[in-house]
Amino acid sequence: MNSGIDLQGSFIQTLQDFGLPIGLAKAVWLPLPMLLMIVGATVGVLVVVWLERKISAAAQQRIGPEYAGPLGVLQPVADGIKLVFKEDVIPAKADPWLFTMGPVLVVVPVFLSYLIVPFGQNLVVTDLNVGIFLWISLSSIAPIGLLMAGYASNNKYSLLGGLRAAAQSISYEIPLALSVLAIVMMSNSLSTVDIVAQQSGYGILGWNIWRQPVGFIIFWIAALAECERLPFDLPEAEEELVAGYQTEYAGMKFALFYLGSYVNLVLSALVFAVLYLGGWEFFIPLDRLADWIGVAETTPWLQVLTASLGIVMTLIKAYFLVFIAVLLRWTVPRVRIDQLLDLGWKFLLPVSLANLLITAALKLSFPMAFGG
Amino acid sequence: MDFSSSVASQLHAGTILPEGIVIITLMTILVGDLIFGRSSSRWLPYVAMFGLFNSIVALFFQWNNPNAIAFLGSFSGDNLSIVFRGIVVLSAMVTIPMSIRYIQQSGTSLAEFIAIMLTATTGGMFLCGANELTMVFISLEMLSISSYLMTGYMKRDPRSNEAALKYLLIGAASSAIFLYGMSLLYGLSGGETNLNIIATKITAINGTQSLGLAISLVFIIAGIAFKISAVPFHQWTPDVYEGSPTPVVAFLSVGSKAAGFALAIRLLVTAFGSMTEQWHFIFTALAILSMVLGNVVALAQTSIKRMLAYSSIAQAGFVMIGLIAGTDNGYSSMIFYLFIYLFMNLGAFTCIILFSLRTGTDQISEYAGLYQKDPLLTLCLSICLLSLGGIPPMAGFFGKIYLFWAGWQAGLYGLVLLGLITSVISIYYYIRVVKMMVVKEPQEMSESVKNYPAINWKLAGMRPLQASLIFATVVTSLAGILSNPLFTLSANSVNSTPILRSAIITQEITQSTIQVSSVEDLIN
Amino acid sequence: MNLAEGVQIVSFGILAVMMIGTALGVVLLPKIVHSAFLLAGVFISISGLYILLNADFVAAAQILVYVGAVNVLILFAIMLVNKQEDYVELPGRTIRKVATGVVCFGLFALLGTMVLATPWSLSTTSPSVVDNTVIALGEHFFSDYLLPFELASVLLLMAMVGAIILARRDLIPESMADENTVTTGLTLPERPRELARLGSEEQDS
Repeated sequence: MNSGIDLQGSFIQTLQDFGLPIGLAKAVWLPLPMLLMIVGATVGVLVVVWLERKISAAAQQRIGPEYAGPLGVLQPVADGIKLVFKEDVIPAKADPWLFTMGPVLVVVPVFLSYLIVPFGQNLVVTDLNVGIFLWISLSSIAPIGLLMAGYASNNKYSLLGGLRAAAQSISYEIPLALSVLAIVMMSNSLSTVDIVAQQSGYGILGWNIWRQPVGFIIFWIAALAECERLPFDLPEAEEELVAGYQTEYAGMKFALFYLGSYVNLVLSALVFAVLYLGGWEFFIPLDRLADWIGVAETTPWLQVLTASLGIVMTLIKAYFLVFIAVLLRWTVPRVRIDQLLDLGWKFLLPVSLANLLITAALKLSFPMAFGG
Repeated sequence: MDFSSSVASQLHAGTILPEGIVIITLMTILVGDLIFGRSSSRWLPYVAMFGLFNSIVALFFQWNNPNAIAFLGSFSGDNLSIVFRGIVVLSAMVTIPMSIRYIQQSGTSLAEFIAIMLTATTGGMFLCGANELTMVFISLEMLSISSYLMTGYMKRDPRSNEAALKYLLIGAASSAIFLYGMSLLYGLSGGETNLNIIATKITAINGTQSLGLAISLVFIIAGIAFKISAVPFHQWTPDVYEGSPTPVVAFLSVGSKAAGFALAIRLLVTAFGSMTEQWHFIFTALAILSMVLGNVVALAQTSIKRMLAYSSIAQAGFVMIGLIAGTDNGYSSMIFYLFIYLFMNLGAFTCIILFSLRTGTDQISEYAGLYQKDPLLTLCLSICLLSLGGIPPMAGFFGKIYLFWAGWQAGLYGLVLLGLITSVISIYYYIRVVKMMVVKEPQEMSESVKNYPAINWKLAGMRPLQASLIFATVVTSLAGILSNPLFTLSANSVNSTPILRSAIITQEITQSTIQVSSVEDLIN
Repeated sequence: MNLAEGVQIVSFGILAVMMIGTALGVVLLPKIVHSAFLLAGVFISISGLYILLNADFVAAAQILVYVGAVNVLILFAIMLVNKQEDYVELPGRTIRKVATGVVCFGLFALLGTMVLATPWSLSTTSPSVVDNTVIALGEHFFSDYLLPFELASVLLLMAMVGAIILARRDLIPESMADENTVTTGLTLPERPRELARLGSEEQDS
């Protein structure tokens, strides 16, 4: 197996060559990937916001933002700056502590989940044994923040929005986890790197999407519901709840909610790409191609090439999914709250359980194809 | 051999066949109710009774099981656990027929009630054989949670809600204390959960005395004492007994209590074998308090369910004498008494159910003059109450005699004397009810007895109630005289159980060494 | 002391302070909503302690189950209870508080002495030996803890059935609909709430 480039190892080695002790070298390295991840996630959000505006405009036969920068690419930046400089209003009868903590609790777990998103064999902040399970459990913290924001606003629409968000999140967590479990069962591991490694070797044919056709649909529906994207954006349904739990928020706190929801969308798309679309794998198996050409796997320029291709592939897959999500927003009507819960509990849950059972049966019968 | 097959060969899963039968019955009832709807309540109770009967048959064939330790030490199917599991199943089997009419008349669904009761039975059975801390806790919770659910089953009745809430809160607190005690045990033994290994490791690591072990013992006894409702952990008992549906009370007072005693024997004798003196001391205190307080407070009760609640506290005190005795006879007298207590207490509760079904009240004063309207009910209730009081020749008398004799043999003179005195007190309040029913003149009849409906056994669900009533009464009146098989059974089960054997032998050794040393002191 | 040990000690300190602080907050704060939110803080700190003990799976499960499910349920229950009740000072409240404090402190002193006095036997296997906790847990679940593991499923099934029984509304069949129950547009069809009267009438036979 091609281990790819090892940035951490070479960075620490370089620092040691400068005469730093190994402990200090590690300490210098530690914050770098985290910072990179946070910056990357934030930039990713700017791109998504621009995409969302542009695609929405296209779907409605408008032009969309065009004055701020070429093709309006600076529009999200302008949005952000506007939000930062707005007055930070806390309603008179609100609970100030909870009101402030709510958005923070929503955003922090989402950023933490970026820990486990791999862009290459070694291009991941940490490769945990519990990998994908960490994402599931961290995403279950967000409803607390939403409930907190909804309660602290002292507004009935906010409270209803918060309760809806929590109910929705709990309901769709279960099918989501069960469909992830089917993948985990095939990969014999919870680690995201192992999950991608198990899909590698056959190019596009090896991706889990072919082996988990039901699972990936369930996962996508549940992920949309977890991100509160249309058709499941009931917590902030404008016609019913003004803006749900965000009603009373303004300025930076509102920006945090805004940021959190888009980061979560990108994260879900990335995880989807890792679970079902082969992560950083190219459409054709690259190492075999290299074999045919006759280039050794350890050649530096090849390693750099595959690593950058891996990052690009992951991002392309993720942004393709974001594109689909935006398109869905303008093509599918919003469901009612009872329909939402019915879909979650009475349809997705049994189907995902059946999917899990069938996967187990197939794994026992065809260990070759389903990861014995 | 790979992992799964090597594990499978050591499981001895057949040991839990009786529990398996109960679980299958439970599933049958849930699914049957789902498929056939309300009409299924005609036959579902009989399915449940059939399943429980099969479970008893399976228990019978498990006697002297060579592979007693099953599931790699999680579960022990020795004869002691078989006897206690038998008591739990039997109590559920007698309780179900008496609950059919009660549940139907209160307008709630029967199938779920039976399903929850079967879960409680399963939990109780596993608790009797649990040989490992995790197993102990899970089965204890299974029993407790289904008990809470059953207590609050009449959800339109505020008394039932209140009882369920009280029971849940106190039960959760006591579970937490129990769990804390178990966690100390886990830590003191260096991370072991199997009771036998804990016993050896603890003596190896801590010697016989340590503060941690003492605290763990106290916490664990607090949890057990809650289950068997010993004073001072009894506060929930009267309120819960008064508020919850009567069949549930019947099951709680027998099945749940028996499981609690089984747990006490196994946990204390095995894991705390090195601290026998200490737990004997604590249990002596609990027994004294239970006997005195239970019997004295029962005198002042006006509701018959509350009276029986205090009486059950007192009975738990009597049974504890056998546990404290710690001899062969002590343990087998416990089992013998629990068997007899099962029938007499369930018989009494059946009578109360029948009376409240016909009159809608539980007040003792309302029983006045019942003899003239319903002689059968009066006869059965009198027999059961007199037996609970320990009047010869009822079964209760023989049970108590055996208990007191075993206690006397073990040198617990004070405790036995106290038991004798308090059981004389108890006779007073049992006889008060009998007198109320039998002696009163027709003009002294209470209102509800005057309006007593015509006796009609043909209503749906009344036949099983009648059958269960007569069965319990017959056993109560005859089991004393024909007690030999029961007596042999309980003696055999104690004699053939390894954990008790080793415990008794070590105790005899320590006693003899004490005697030897005292003799030496005399010589010197 | 190398980097890893230093980080561990510092994180342990932070987690311990956080856990004790939030736990005290849960008990002492007057508003129940604040207590409920701080409970989430306690759970998260416990999960952090699990991570320090190299129990990564248990830590993630702790967050998923306790923060994501249990605490959210508690919050739901608090927020759905629509009861405005003014807080009434109980007479002799100070004495109660002092008594509770004394009892708690005594218990704490006792347990503290016990923890310090006991020769704890530490497990011989270092946690770092187990390189994949998920596999180790799975092996235990399917060998020596098989029975409790399977039994828990029966327990959970019955807890679910029981919760549904307690929470559902009993629908009235058409024939039994009581005419004197007041129905507004908002009440769901439900049997009138009355005490379960036993032995009064024999309507079904």
